[in-house]
Amino acid sequence: MKVTTVVSTAVRPMRRRHGRLLALEQVRERLVSVAGLVGRPVALADGREVGRIVDVVVRRGTEQYPAVAGLVVRVGRRKAWVHAEVLGSLESTGARMNSARLDVRDFEPRPDEVALVRDVLDHQLVDVDGIQVVRANDLYLARVVDTERLVGVEVGGRSLLRRLAPSWMRRAPVPERLIDWGAIRSFESGGVQLDRARGDLERLRPADVAHLLEELGRAQRQELLAALGDHLAADALEEMEEDERDQLLRETTPERTAAIVAAMEPDEAVETLREIPADQRSTVLRHLPAPVRERLAPLLDLDPDVAGGMMTSTLVRARASESVREVIGRLAALSDHRDDIDGVLVVDERGVLVDDISLFELLMADGDAPVESLVGEPWPVTVSIDASIDEVVDAVLGNRRSSVVVVDDEGRPEGRILTDDVLDHLVTSPRSARRVGRPT
Amino acid sequence: MIRLRRRWKRLLAPLAVLGPGLIAANAGNDAGGIATYASAGSEFVYRTLFVMVLVTVALVVVQEMSARLGAVTGSGLVALIREQFPLRLAAFSVVCLMVANVGLVVSEFAGIGAAMELLGVSRWLAVPIAAVGLWALVVFGSYRYAERLFLLLTLVFLAYPIAAVLGHPDWTQVARSTALPHLSFEHGYLLMVVALIGTTITPYMQLYQAAAVVERGGTADDLPAIRADAITGSVFANVISMCIIIATAAAIGGSGPLTSASQAALALEPVVGASATTLFAIGLLGASALAAAVVPLSTSYAVAEAIGAERSVSRRPRDAKVFVGLFTAQIVVGAAVALVPGNLIGLLLNMQVLNGVISPVLLTFILVLAGRRRLMGDHVNRHWFHRLATVCVVTVGVLAAIVTVQALFGG
Repeated sequence: MKVTTVVSTAVRPMRRRHGRLLALEQVRERLVSVAGLVGRPVALADGREVGRIVDVVVRRGTEQYPAVAGLVVRVGRRKAWVHAEVLGSLESTGARMNSARLDVRDFEPRPDEVALVRDVLDHQLVDVDGIQVVRANDLYLARVVDTERLVGVEVGGRSLLRRLAPSWMRRAPVPERLIDWGAIRSFESGGVQLDRARGDLERLRPADVAHLLEELGRAQRQELLAALGDHLAADALEEMEEDERDQLLRETTPERTAAIVAAMEPDEAVETLREIPADQRSTVLRHLPAPVRERLAPLLDLDPDVAGGMMTSTLVRARASESVREVIGRLAALSDHRDDIDGVLVVDERGVLVDDISLFELLMADGDAPVESLVGEPWPVTVSIDASIDEVVDAVLGNRRSSVVVVDDEGRPEGRILTDDVLDHLVTSPRSARRVGRPT
Repeated sequence: MIRLRRRWKRLLAPLAVLGPGLIAANAGNDAGGIATYASAGSEFVYRTLFVMVLVTVALVVVQEMSARLGAVTGSGLVALIREQFPLRLAAFSVVCLMVANVGLVVSEFAGIGAAMELLGVSRWLAVPIAAVGLWALVVFGSYRYAERLFLLLTLVFLAYPIAAVLGHPDWTQVARSTALPHLSFEHGYLLMVVALIGTTITPYMQLYQAAAVVERGGTADDLPAIRADAITGSVFANVISMCIIIATAAAIGGSGPLTSASQAALALEPVVGASATTLFAIGLLGASALAAAVVPLSTSYAVAEAIGAERSVSRRPRDAKVFVGLFTAQIVVGAAVALVPGNLIGLLLNMQVLNGVISPVLLTFILVLAGRRRLMGDHVNRHWFHRLATVCVVTVGVLAAIVTVQALFGG
């Protein structure tokens, strides 16, 4: 029988805690230690022993308390798989099957299943209720309405000592500092991934998330960050120690960093961007939504009155050897950016600009022809990244183009300034607005 | 709370200007290192130089693996061992590490004692004051400033390469001893070899190497730079070590085992003349004080992480029971053992032998981890590298075993 999630994650913390399985007397009384199960016998229905338990496998999924999918059992020298369906009982002393024979099938890990001893026991977990990073010293199973489930994690030190002691000295586990599995967020890198914890995370305070991010190992930290919404992530980052934040961002993709920065207050966003090494900063800036970038650029001491401050960094680059059809195919995927794309930039192997091909030229060309065949007059109009607004205006007016390409010192394209960017600038900037009336 | 936690961790962060590999490997040139290399030069003249070449290869291999483990997994060695091995094996490794590191702390305090005695202060006075002082500096948090001073003092040892040249060693002998393989199974010589391994490939250094890479935020993408740093650091450290051996051998080589720190100081005489003793004492003091704080600090951090007491590290001293407790215990034991009457140099050497005997245990864990594809992915040990590393670890293990057997049965 399938047990539904006991309490929805949307309920407030106080109510949730009452809904936790470990709060139930009948669950607490029937806890089975996972660490204690290792090495215990598995018997057939008639009592004959067939092997020893190696691992307990649970199903990954959205359930709050993952169900046991089966056991990994050492039979002779093989690791066999015993499905939960054929398990009659699972006690601290061992398991008994409900059939009289064991079909020896080799255990093969499946992506939707997690081996508790191998991947969760002794790994880092996050206790969302107690807001702390813990290490699983033991895990507890309990039978909940006909199904064995993972219900809790032990973080007390005595369970470590119990596991270290020789088996004849081991007594039944006495729960010491037990945390309900419903409060646990565990990690792909260390085992189970439970998407349902997303709701739990969103109700944490940013300062608490910051604390967790600082305490976790790198892989787990990245996973936690990945599970956070951009806004909570931004708030948490604002609370973090500067050097920890630097380190975290160094490990994060520029896309994600940009999304988080975009969700920050402008001053924090600027501070964060300043901490990022210059070479990565430009990548992050490029991934920021244009309005945010334009708002932040002046604050970052990027003079908005120079070319680098007004350009869009959405560029379509092509190699001379590509066919026209390939390039048009890539353009189709960029329809979100249609307002920013005015042409395709042909670059050489070092990324240096060769030509700027208009969309019209591309449209008229034979699909099988190489892009190379389109290279030629008119040659692209370029401005340097620190060109002043006057130079940009002159470049646009002097060549009667709808856009100009911004290049760095090496001639590599950095962005494009469209005529409407120039117009925006002239209209909003009083000093330049006067220039509009100036006869050229 | 968060701010306080950062304090502990920040104490371990390597100085920004120096690479983690350089610091980690050069941590080997501490009190125990100086005593061991000087003793090797004094007792066996140039005969241990070839061993040092082999030890350098092993050190490069081991430090590279540790750095790679840190970069790829982003976690410390002890935490990795806890996650990747059965609990009993993990506990065994932690116990070994604790014993080896307490041994190191003992030798650091012995170094402080020996240095202060050279400066005319009794160790009965110097060691307890140093212990209390270092403990307070770390727990109450102005250690960062003291650390810079200690680091500055250790620059004295850069005088060794100059001393090695000015001491007019027999260069043909040096070259022959470095390049030509030679080994002896004489007990004293083997003991010295294990001490050299113990002080050069200290378990603590691997721990520190991995932790420092993680702390710096190094990832698999940075591997070329991290690897280069680990390799140059190891080679540089061992060039200095070999200079200590050469300089000491040129000054007092052949006069039998080293018996006092003042004898070791003679090696610096060609450079600084009569002030050699004072200068040597200052350098020894700096190196010992530096390691006497950092070794127990990083041991406590690693152990707290492994037993799941991360929370403890985040609290103020009164609440960080596990962390401060571990730290205090190591300082107390270290200082107390260093006060036991007897020859400090002998004590220093014995602690390096202890490290040398334990070292293969930790090395085996590192070897297995770095060769585990499920953990390391594409950065797993290459086939030939894994073989080389295995040969290194097995050799160290066999030597440690021989010395242990000889010691147990009076060989």
